[in-house]
Amino acid sequence: MKRITLNVDPVEARDLLERVPRACVAFVSDEGPQVEPVSVLFKDDRYLVGMPSSAASHLTVDEEVVLLVDDGVQFFDLRAIYVRGHVQPLSGMEGLRGDFFWFEVQPTRTVAWDYARIREVDDET
Amino acid sequence: MMKPDDPAVVGILRRAMVARIATVSRNGRPHVNPLYFISGNGKMYLGTTDRTLAALNVKANPRVTIMFNIESEPNDRRVLRIRGGAIVRTDSKLCRWYVVRDLRKYIFSRRGFVNALAHARLLPLVRRFVSSGEKGQECVLEVRPEEAEFLTAPPGVGRHLNLS
Repeated sequence: MKRITLNVDPVEARDLLERVPRACVAFVSDEGPQVEPVSVLFKDDRYLVGMPSSAASHLTVDEEVVLLVDDGVQFFDLRAIYVRGHVQPLSGMEGLRGDFFWFEVQPTRTVAWDYARIREVDDET
Repeated sequence: MMKPDDPAVVGILRRAMVARIATVSRNGRPHVNPLYFISGNGKMYLGTTDRTLAALNVKANPRVTIMFNIESEPNDRRVLRIRGGAIVRTDSKLCRWYVVRDLRKYIFSRRGFVNALAHARLLPLVRRFVSSGEKGQECVLEVRPEEAEFLTAPPGVGRHLNLS
């Protein structure tokens, strides 16, 4: 059985984490879904996220968030890395912008897609 | 907060190409994904299919927050954020209306056409993917914006990060 997929191994989309064209973090507050533009640093396989301190007051330790780093406008240029995970406080990292709230997203699920890599694969489900 | 019909808001919506829509699942879990969109009639219309997480979440909880920026002007750090309520529309009249405008905006533009032409060998696969129904029936998320605000993207996202 075959199926068509856009998904790629997240390792193949790692360049997105090195130049971070667009990045945001989504989370849930009492007011519903929230989304904030963020800075991202991918270092030693860790997803480090910086958010303006004024925007971070809703976030709590262990809270579930989704980090989305995406690129492209035209159909076959669309690519993204989607990281679902939990907020962990960051310590021991010097040199990060002081006016930002920095945290680590500990991933529970990571997915990447690339529309130019659309292809048929064996359905293993 | 600004009104969604503020000229500055409308100006960004005219030029933005990708909407990043945040939704909440039935179980209260966050989700965000990029979608193409059309604005008109005081609303925004985002194309997807009815078995995607975005559509399932909207069915469970209509609250959405959407972010836009002007991709063609990377030095413009303004980010538009709009909050509102959404519904999932599957009626064929609206879906057809959306598809025509989506094609006009994303494919029958000069850049869109060049991009499609450069990947012409993949078009049959895209057609099969879309028509396979694997992700459900085509649908449109119709968003009624309630409030808008401008944010500033972190300077040079990803580039200002210098570890000492």
